[in-house]
Amino acid sequence: MLSRVASHLYWLSRYLERAENMARILDVGASLALLSRQGDERAATEPLVITDSLEAFTATGRSITPENVAHFLAWDTSYPSSIVNCLEASRENARAVRGSITSEMWENINDTWLQFSAKRRDAREPVDAAFFDWVKERSHLFRGITFATIRRDQPYRFIRLGTFIERADNTARILSVKQGRHRAEPEGDGLTDYYRLSAVLRSVSSLEAYRDTYRDAIDSHRVAELLIFDPSLPRSLRFCFDEVVRMLAELPQAPSRAARRLAAHMLALLEHGELEDVYGVGLDAFLERFLRNNVRLGEAVHAAYMEMK
Amino acid sequence: MSAPALTPLPAPPGVYDEMLDARRSPRAHYAAYADWLASMSEEQMAGKRVEADLIFRRIGITFSVYGEQGGTERLIPSDVVPRIIAADEWDRLEKGLVQRVTAINRFLADIYHGQEILKAGLIPEDQILANDQYAVAMIGTRVPRDIYAHIVGVDIVRHGDGNYYVLEDNLRVPSGVSYMLSNRKMMMRLFPDLFRRYHVRPVEHYPALLLQTLRASAETDSPTVVLLTPGRFNSAYFEHAFLAQQMGVELVEGQDLFVKDACVFMRTTDGPKQVDVIYRRVDDTFLDPLAFRPDSMLGVPGLLAAYRLGNVVICNAVGTGVADDKSIYPYVPEMIRFYLGEEPILQNVQTWQCRRPDDLAHVAANLADLVVKEVHGAGGYGMLVGPTSSRQEIEDFRLRLLHNPGNYIAQPTLALSSCPTFVEEGVAPRHIDLRPFVLVGREIKIVPGGLTRVALRRGSLVVNSSQGGGTKDTWVVDAADAAPGDPV
Repeated sequence: MLSRVASHLYWLSRYLERAENMARILDVGASLALLSRQGDERAATEPLVITDSLEAFTATGRSITPENVAHFLAWDTSYPSSIVNCLEASRENARAVRGSITSEMWENINDTWLQFSAKRRDAREPVDAAFFDWVKERSHLFRGITFATIRRDQPYRFIRLGTFIERADNTARILSVKQGRHRAEPEGDGLTDYYRLSAVLRSVSSLEAYRDTYRDAIDSHRVAELLIFDPSLPRSLRFCFDEVVRMLAELPQAPSRAARRLAAHMLALLEHGELEDVYGVGLDAFLERFLRNNVRLGEAVHAAYMEMK
Repeated sequence: MSAPALTPLPAPPGVYDEMLDARRSPRAHYAAYADWLASMSEEQMAGKRVEADLIFRRIGITFSVYGEQGGTERLIPSDVVPRIIAADEWDRLEKGLVQRVTAINRFLADIYHGQEILKAGLIPEDQILANDQYAVAMIGTRVPRDIYAHIVGVDIVRHGDGNYYVLEDNLRVPSGVSYMLSNRKMMMRLFPDLFRRYHVRPVEHYPALLLQTLRASAETDSPTVVLLTPGRFNSAYFEHAFLAQQMGVELVEGQDLFVKDACVFMRTTDGPKQVDVIYRRVDDTFLDPLAFRPDSMLGVPGLLAAYRLGNVVICNAVGTGVADDKSIYPYVPEMIRFYLGEEPILQNVQTWQCRRPDDLAHVAANLADLVVKEVHGAGGYGMLVGPTSSRQEIEDFRLRLLHNPGNYIAQPTLALSSCPTFVEEGVAPRHIDLRPFVLVGREIKIVPGGLTRVALRRGSLVVNSSQGGGTKDTWVVDAADAAPGDPV
């Protein structure tokens, strides 16, 4: 398989996953902003903190309101990771390799782009729950079509690899901002905590999983435990790395030694680690190291398969 | 209220109507279609066209138009009325195409080796050797089986006299075959009942034949074939991706290939893999920056050297453009006589070469009636269509012509035949041409029919997609097979 094709497939799925995650963050952000008593800036700022885009937003000179922030992260073409840019990049990557994916996959991603362009026309550019649901659904649909139509071959594996490296990054960021030292909201009363934590869980589709697992009040340590260590939850770090390691094992081995070693190391911490280890070094430090390693892993995957020397 | 049935309007006088004869009744091979059409209403046909557009857009059968606003994509309109060719007519066309393409390949092998045709004085030497398209690098370079043009798209028109004429032999990177295949798929989906009434000869095996042809172009046993595209910003990118997928070969860009030890490799996730055959959809000058244009980012440095050593096959060969140059076109009938000792089955359009003083005098005196083309031009650009030009346009063109007569040829304005087409006025005549695709491997194969292009503007003779042209599904049907329709 061509290195360039591998790169397009990998980025096609990373961008689509990123668009979905952005929609998740904004969706939860919007409902939290409604609950927030003062309607203050902190809740509105949070999506910017999670996505590392506070500086970019401030540069636009717009005031920090939930609507302005959502519009910026969803529709602003000057911000590289906005939903509009992610969906476009995803579709452009797919177009470059439409011969390497099934026609159903291509038609779906093309159709997503056409529908999206229609939403964009007439300056409608919605930022409501229906729009975020639509983005999530289109991403789900593409994954489902991929799962149902493509051969379990290299293209499939690069697509999965992109999905899970991107998803791990997202889960770690959400956890870090919502739970860590830098979190936007101060420690509040029980009621605020409940909403805050259930919002975290909902943003990664894990509220039901939490209830099933703990059958108890929502507690911040358990939320961290679930999202870091649970082997059966599709958006936990552990689950993501099970997939990453599996995909790497099924790709050509010779070029990927460095990537495989790093991925195995990261999985070992998630597989054998415990919550005490995390809080031993501190949740922030743990997640920061994880995010740094995840970036390094992305670079190692690139060097192994996608570089055009 | 039931809408009135659809009746095709006849062609204007002097234009050959593909469907209706002089008495305005359907020709035999169109009879079943005319019956069927009479059972359809305008609303039903309009509904089918909307359905077709939606599907084409969703599948992404588009061509790219890149302007100041960044990229946009347009559909090439696909008409819902087929162009039907009777089998006996097609069989004759096919023989003519095989003959013509065989002679052209002999000609190409000759001018890069023995140059017998020049020695015989049939073509002036300078017209070949001083031609921009003559590739000096190919002199003495052997290509497997002496095949230069593996994939040829011949443009054919039918004149008012009812005869077919060859307008142009496209020997470089002819495109459009994906539209032929998509049109057929679409028509079968929209009108299954029509395909029950007619036995339409199939075209769906074109990608398989193309792969066979490409594999046969190499002398190695199981060659690795790739399709080289300029990339997704090229207007024909859809076709490149489509054909690569249909053939199951890699779609590569220049950056995916490199040359090492005079062999060509592609960069893969498993490391370098050697490439034996390159079906290139880029022009000669973009193949290799070392040999042609140093500013080109599209090419593969060292490719030409590997090619000349016989370590890789390029389809079509480098240097085929000299044979489809408009200044060489007038000699094709001579080539057929010279190399094959046969009379041409397909006729050329009468052509005046402005480099000859007598021809120039005739052309200059009759500009208002002629079509004048640049010898290296393509795509309908840089030409004068006398009858539809203003006096000022004609005089401006005259200055250019007289300044550099050798750059032009002239032909009579052809009354391209017309075919019923679903447009605003109903089913009305529109001018068409035909591009069959000829594949030259161990033997010559042509899928029945080809791509019919149609000028959608009333009275227009320009069928190019860049200038308001559309396409039609093209059916070759056996007259005896056209079963009477089921009771309506």
